[in-house]
Amino acid sequence: MGKVERISLPEAIACIPDGSCLTFSGFTIWRRPMAAIYELIRQKKKDLHLVEVNGGTHSDLLIGAGCVKIWESCWIGHELYGKLGANLARKAEAGQLIVEDYSHVHMLYRLAAGSMGLPYLPTYASLGTDILNPAYDNLGTLGYRDGSHPKIPKKKYEIVEDTFNGGWLLHIPASNPDWCIAYVQMVGEEGTVRIEGQIYSDVEAIKAADHVIVIAENIVPEEYIRREPTHNQIPGHQVTYIVELPWAAHPTGSYGRYETDGDFIKKLYQASRTEEGMQSWLDEWVYQIPDHATYLNKLGVTHLESLRANPALGYSNQVKRGQRK
Amino acid sequence: MKKSDSNFTIDDFRMGKNQNIQVNPKRYAKFGEFKPIDLLAVAAAREVHDGDVVFAGTGLPMLAIALAQLTTAPTATCIYEAGSVDGRPIDLPTSVGDARCSYQASIASGLMDVFGQLQRGVVDLAFLGGAEIDKYGNVNTTAMGKYGTVPEKRLTGSGGNSDINALSKRTVFIMVQEKRRFKENVDYITSPGWWVPKWPSGKRVSKKEVYGRGFRGGPSAVISDMGVFYFDENGEMYLDTVHPGFTKEQVRENCSFDLNISRVRGETAPPTYEELELLYQRVDPEGIFLP
Repeated sequence: MGKVERISLPEAIACIPDGSCLTFSGFTIWRRPMAAIYELIRQKKKDLHLVEVNGGTHSDLLIGAGCVKIWESCWIGHELYGKLGANLARKAEAGQLIVEDYSHVHMLYRLAAGSMGLPYLPTYASLGTDILNPAYDNLGTLGYRDGSHPKIPKKKYEIVEDTFNGGWLLHIPASNPDWCIAYVQMVGEEGTVRIEGQIYSDVEAIKAADHVIVIAENIVPEEYIRREPTHNQIPGHQVTYIVELPWAAHPTGSYGRYETDGDFIKKLYQASRTEEGMQSWLDEWVYQIPDHATYLNKLGVTHLESLRANPALGYSNQVKRGQRK
Repeated sequence: MKKSDSNFTIDDFRMGKNQNIQVNPKRYAKFGEFKPIDLLAVAAAREVHDGDVVFAGTGLPMLAIALAQLTTAPTATCIYEAGSVDGRPIDLPTSVGDARCSYQASIASGLMDVFGQLQRGVVDLAFLGGAEIDKYGNVNTTAMGKYGTVPEKRLTGSGGNSDINALSKRTVFIMVQEKRRFKENVDYITSPGWWVPKWPSGKRVSKKEVYGRGFRGGPSAVISDMGVFYFDENGEMYLDTVHPGFTKEQVRENCSFDLNISRVRGETAPPTYEELELLYQRVDPEGIFLP
């Protein structure tokens, strides 16, 4: 059994070399490891290769800060709070970022195959679309599918005969990212992970990765988390490092803990629509902020308390969401 | 209480308020008494059959499924893409990953479960959107203009749109009606309609031919801010009803392809006062999607 190590966030992020292939927990604007994203930017990581089931506030920010070279996924944006991944769009349109499009199921199955030690998984999803247009295999066009890149498969996909029944199936290649950075509500001292609410594609992302950093709202005694093993998803031997950091998903939301900070994301999105705006936002909220405690102090206790979830509901009923109330 | 016992009285349990509301479907609002977005939500809700398993995305689909469950489809089951099944939210979710989706859900699971259900063929209806659509229901949400290693104008990407349109029995698209959005050919086929490219040649063939054993159905309706469209036996879009305030000719003028208007049945039924009250008082009282 591997022994999990409890370290600080800057120490954990320092383990990730430039050029690493990363994946994350969460779904669009929910349960993203935002504190780790800020720290990756502060440590000026370069040439990262993101492989994620879907993107969101976290990956658009990392792209806007110039840390990313390749993004393989299916969607990026900020849901209701920003209709585009504006940084991704700007960088892609300027030829400063390589985008490889798959569908949601394709990305899910890439990590699921990786999590099971399989080379690929079959699916019917998104046959008959331009996602499979051979002319639109961007990594192939740019020469990255020559076998010399361990995290890039030699083919984007293959359409293969169903030898059991006849007909055709799509085979989607596995992905095993170097690192998964996950934010969850709770982890035991020995690394047992408990995710509350929708689990999104976290199990596949965590199990597919070679190394896993779990950032938790709380690290709890292992004895406590093992009282109800049916509520847990990941055993400690599939986790490398654990970090305890309350509010580490802000401004994204965390089921049972806090609400997505929609106003914060709206302002971030507005800033991200120009290069200058993005740089000044990063300056204010990342470069000038030495650590997570300073970030929380800047947000302020009253603001954070408005986001805190009502334990009976799993979300905050204090926050103003609409135009009428 | 069994929801199916409710008949004309709506069992309000789904929105958690434990009151009963009588709905008289004949009380239609007059032109000018409702906003275009209200009609979109109501027209979308009317596409839900009672008992349907519905896959819904962020925005108007959330209004549509909630309204349908309060009116004509009390036993419809809603699945949200992020992994919640048959939630009974008392507050409107703002995105599919929202904690509100899981309130009183039968299960809170993940993408492997709900996309597995979709591929298994249990999803009857899905609501989707898009930036561009062609007459076969092929939809673009990826990029405008030239695609490639350096795209001309990047959009959000497929998300689940392509998978859901691929594998639901029926899909309903909610779209903004503009000439540049209803196109002869979309710039990038993100989401597969009734006639799709078969790779590697890219030759257009029927969706059934490409999907084989995986064929479940496809686009059944498009609801725009000007009308409701269906697809004929050949998978081609035609205009079914025109929203109040528009003519069928105006709808055709706002289409780049040659829209079939020969089968128009008349005007889209406006929202009833009861539907409007439910939308504003119960489904979205905060004014999140209905300002």
